[in-house]
Amino acid sequence: MPSEMITLQLGQCGNQIGFEFWKQLCIEHGISPEGILEEFASAGSDRKDVFFYQADDDHYIPRAVLLDLEPRVIHTIMNSPYSKLYNPENVYLSKHGGGAGNNWASGFAQGEKLNEEVFDIINREADGSDNLEGFVLCHSIAGGTGSGMGSYILEHLSDRFPKKLVQTYSVFPNLDEISDVVVQPYNSLLTLKRLTESADCVMVLDNTALNRIASDRLHIQNPSFAQINTLVSTIMSASTATLRYPSYMNNDLISLVAPLIPTPRLHFLMTGYTPLTADHELNTAPKIRKTTVLDVMQRLLQPKNMMVSLSPDRTNQHCYISILNIIQGEVDPSQVHKSLQRIRERKLASFIPWGPASIQVALSRRSPYVHASHKVSGLLLANHTNISSLFDRCLQQYDKLRKREAFLEVFRKEPMFKESLEEFDESRSVVDDLVQEYQAAATPDYVHWNPESSQI
Amino acid sequence: MKANIAICHLFYLLYLISDFGGKMMQDALLILWDSSGLNDNKNHILFAEQGDAEIYNRICDIAKSHQKIKVFIESTGFHSRKSQSASGVKSSGLYTQALSEGLTEVLQSYKKTLVEVESLVIGNHKYTLSFVYSYVEKFQGLFNVLNKIITTIKQRRLVGCQILSLIHQFILNGNEMVHVAMVRIFSCVNKVFVNQLCTWLLYGELKDPFQEFFIYKNEKVEFSDTFLSSPSSNTCDKSLVSTLQDTTLDCGYQLTSNMIPFFMPLSLAQEILFIGKTVILFSYDPKKIKRSQCFTSRAVLPLQRCGVESRRFTIWEEKEAEFHNTLQSLKKPEVIEVANLRCVIRDIKECVTKHLWIVAVEEAHLLHELQLMKDFYLLGRGELFLELLRLTSHILDKPTTRTATRDMNHAFQLAARAVFLSNSADIEKFSFELPYVKPNISGNSTIEDDSSTVADGWSSIVLKYDFKWPLHLVFTPEVLARYNDMFRLLLRIKKTQHDLHALWKTYKQSTSFSMCQLHNKLMFLMDNLQHYLQADVLETNFSRLMDAMAKTNDFERLKKAHATFLADVLSQSFLTVTSVAQAHESEHSDTTDSLNNPVFCNIMELLKLCDSFCSMGEVASDRETEDYYIRGYSDRFNKLVKQLMQLLVSLRDQPCGVFLARLLMRLDYNRWLSGEAQLTQSVTNMLRY
Repeated sequence: MPSEMITLQLGQCGNQIGFEFWKQLCIEHGISPEGILEEFASAGSDRKDVFFYQADDDHYIPRAVLLDLEPRVIHTIMNSPYSKLYNPENVYLSKHGGGAGNNWASGFAQGEKLNEEVFDIINREADGSDNLEGFVLCHSIAGGTGSGMGSYILEHLSDRFPKKLVQTYSVFPNLDEISDVVVQPYNSLLTLKRLTESADCVMVLDNTALNRIASDRLHIQNPSFAQINTLVSTIMSASTATLRYPSYMNNDLISLVAPLIPTPRLHFLMTGYTPLTADHELNTAPKIRKTTVLDVMQRLLQPKNMMVSLSPDRTNQHCYISILNIIQGEVDPSQVHKSLQRIRERKLASFIPWGPASIQVALSRRSPYVHASHKVSGLLLANHTNISSLFDRCLQQYDKLRKREAFLEVFRKEPMFKESLEEFDESRSVVDDLVQEYQAAATPDYVHWNPESSQI
Repeated sequence: MKANIAICHLFYLLYLISDFGGKMMQDALLILWDSSGLNDNKNHILFAEQGDAEIYNRICDIAKSHQKIKVFIESTGFHSRKSQSASGVKSSGLYTQALSEGLTEVLQSYKKTLVEVESLVIGNHKYTLSFVYSYVEKFQGLFNVLNKIITTIKQRRLVGCQILSLIHQFILNGNEMVHVAMVRIFSCVNKVFVNQLCTWLLYGELKDPFQEFFIYKNEKVEFSDTFLSSPSSNTCDKSLVSTLQDTTLDCGYQLTSNMIPFFMPLSLAQEILFIGKTVILFSYDPKKIKRSQCFTSRAVLPLQRCGVESRRFTIWEEKEAEFHNTLQSLKKPEVIEVANLRCVIRDIKECVTKHLWIVAVEEAHLLHELQLMKDFYLLGRGELFLELLRLTSHILDKPTTRTATRDMNHAFQLAARAVFLSNSADIEKFSFELPYVKPNISGNSTIEDDSSTVADGWSSIVLKYDFKWPLHLVFTPEVLARYNDMFRLLLRIKKTQHDLHALWKTYKQSTSFSMCQLHNKLMFLMDNLQHYLQADVLETNFSRLMDAMAKTNDFERLKKAHATFLADVLSQSFLTVTSVAQAHESEHSDTTDSLNNPVFCNIMELLKLCDSFCSMGEVASDRETEDYYIRGYSDRFNKLVKQLMQLLVSLRDQPCGVFLARLLMRLDYNRWLSGEAQLTQSVTNMLRY
């Protein structure tokens, strides 16, 4: 089967969002928690095989690899109704079960140690697909396992599978809250370097924005992890909709990613989704508004629907590098052109001044097995220069800690940092270059921007 | 005088003439009955009064006219036709016979008048010749008209429906008597016409042994018809089905334009032809023919052959009798007005097209088939074609070989299996053909560039589609050729896009910004071109088509909606220069015709540019040559894009100008391309889309 994707779920957060993602996919494809195709879904023309494969008894198994260094989340999954869904050989728990202690260095080192076993699983899974297109990595950048071990795997995936795409769904920490992970800025910075250098495409899931959306847009006080993760799985399933529901275009990951990422390093994508409904609202008083293509496309351009919290743009005139909208539902195709025209006339989105850019609109089908309360829904995938503000904040937080030389001893324990803290400086310069490049990309001079000057 | 008159009657009966006065009267009456014996013996007649000679001559004229008519009646009547057809001469037909009958009827009143006059003359010997004349004078006009008709028929050798229309022309006459007479004659001839019309409309049968109807059948198809209905031919179903699919709606029947009655507009005649052909079409239903083999050998009347279970296949159902009656009522001359005829034909046509709709939409699943057309010809199944391109681009890049068709179909099966479509029956309906053209050895002089475009598989690939009966009414060879034009364009674009995407991962590692930038521009162009074609053109028009399909249950409208769809798609994809109205009617079956659309040429040039960019890796080895190539390609790209924008100015009045503007709106969404192209002020003003 062509264009298969293998999902790697790393760490506590990665496994949680992965779990929600598979749950959503099962519902959308009519697959029971045991992996058996429901009777009502037997005639579907969807492509389950991109993310699932069939066992000898025809039940569906996700192309997923579950990795964690501590057992809590994976045990929860294994005690859920979905326990039989996964291939047990693909679930890897470190034997000591001690976790990475929220330490990037520990996660990285353990990744190195477990390298053989982990890549055995990945290789086997890759061999099982006809024409693997790439990997999807779910993780958070702040913790230990997802960030550290994830970084290790990222670095080595591109070595082992140089022709495959590597896409990540990276959860950025909530900066509004005081985190219990004190070394979070260190972890984030170190992971960001790998995301910049080894990943092909990073879907930025900003916990800050997700929480804000949950409370502001969905009116949930103190949103739970599950509620946040539902948002994430909605985005993940919508962004893979064109792969799973055959349509005229965007049938492989590259065709989604390539137009969005014109220059190699600027591959951090923001997402937006509208309209959002929370479960509790559905039950009580569903506020259903009229949705049209134009309406959805306009809302998607509003910052409040963006799943990344960006600091307001004061100095630099930030702009979109590219936009892809995936519109699902009952769409009148002739509306697309009209909406594009309207948005262009009203100048609702500003674009880069150094190259061609546009809003591409992919129309996709929706799962027939999921009740949708709105006629039209849309996902925005955008490459925006202001995402640098997010990295800038990471840098600032890092600098604050680093200035105080705080909490560095945890890192010094690991062999990688025993000798020197050079890795930190290197990572900082990579991320700083990234910020610079993003800022440069907002100006016409980007054409003359020399990437070589920023090469390490 | 008295005695003369007394024996007059006797003489009249016995052809005895004794008295000049009596002879005169007798002659007059006799001549009026039958002027065949009229000869030179005029001189012997003596007239009672001086003026009588003149009157006698006049009576003779009337008699002569009558005689001519009688001769005509005799030569064309039933008996003469019988004897003629026995001897193998087919000079006159049913219409002429009907005419002669009509004439006979009309002459009845004349004969009655004569008898009346005769009895008056016998009763009163005093009556003069002028008295007789006064009675028969009124027939002069009628006979003149009739003779005029007769001579016209003879002179122009009119047959069949031509006679009908000739008579119809004479109906409107100021002379009441002539009018009434003409109406009577017309109704006689009209009966034949209505009968023929009736069998044609209701059973698709031409009961026309003398080729008098305005619809005729060519000989060529008659052969295949006999082949079909011959009981001995136990052809296997498959060949039968395939032959049936070759039969288009024409099935050999055509209009004879000079036979169409003057009072019938051409459009109406075409509708009549259509109805009959459709009825015949249903009698060609493969299912029914199979069934007919066990019932009866002759496959003529659908109604005869239909078993109880196939009753629903009959077009008319319970309406048959109703239509028959309405048609029969047309025999009355006062009913057969064009308006009435049109009404009836409309009703019947509606019934036929409804039935056709049921067969096409409900039994042949037209909507599903249209979806398939979109999925395959218009690349709706993107993932299938992506896989196919992966497997076959090496076949299509090279000039076609003998085995290319087989390889292509094999790859198609593999691709279908890969995307889990192989077990669906729909896949079976499609197959590829790569026409193998022997390389022209003498044509060495052609430019290198030229020969490569002619020979490769991208420009020659044909997607074939095996559809259900009776969808050939919709998917005619012409329609399929146009679908293939679209298919080739879309496949070519998809291939180029695929090649460009494949380079993305490579250029990600590249350090050359200009390289990345050019790659981006080309990719942007291909992506947006595809978005434009697929969303703005195909999706939009297809949803419009589906709406139209849902609204109607009339096959003709359905067909028209589909034709409009295809024409719109072609013109909006710049595959034609002709306007929308002409697009589906004109007979350009060659792809070379579409090449003269400037927008299309430009797009093809851009595609070529992309292709050479993709293959640059093989040519350029070091950094310098690479830079050189990139500069060349960038210049070419800028030139082509500029050209495309300037085209908008020259095309603004044409319908495709609007759609070029739509395409450019997508391409120039952030006004970068137009800025880069450094257009003149006037062009920039135009670019407001």
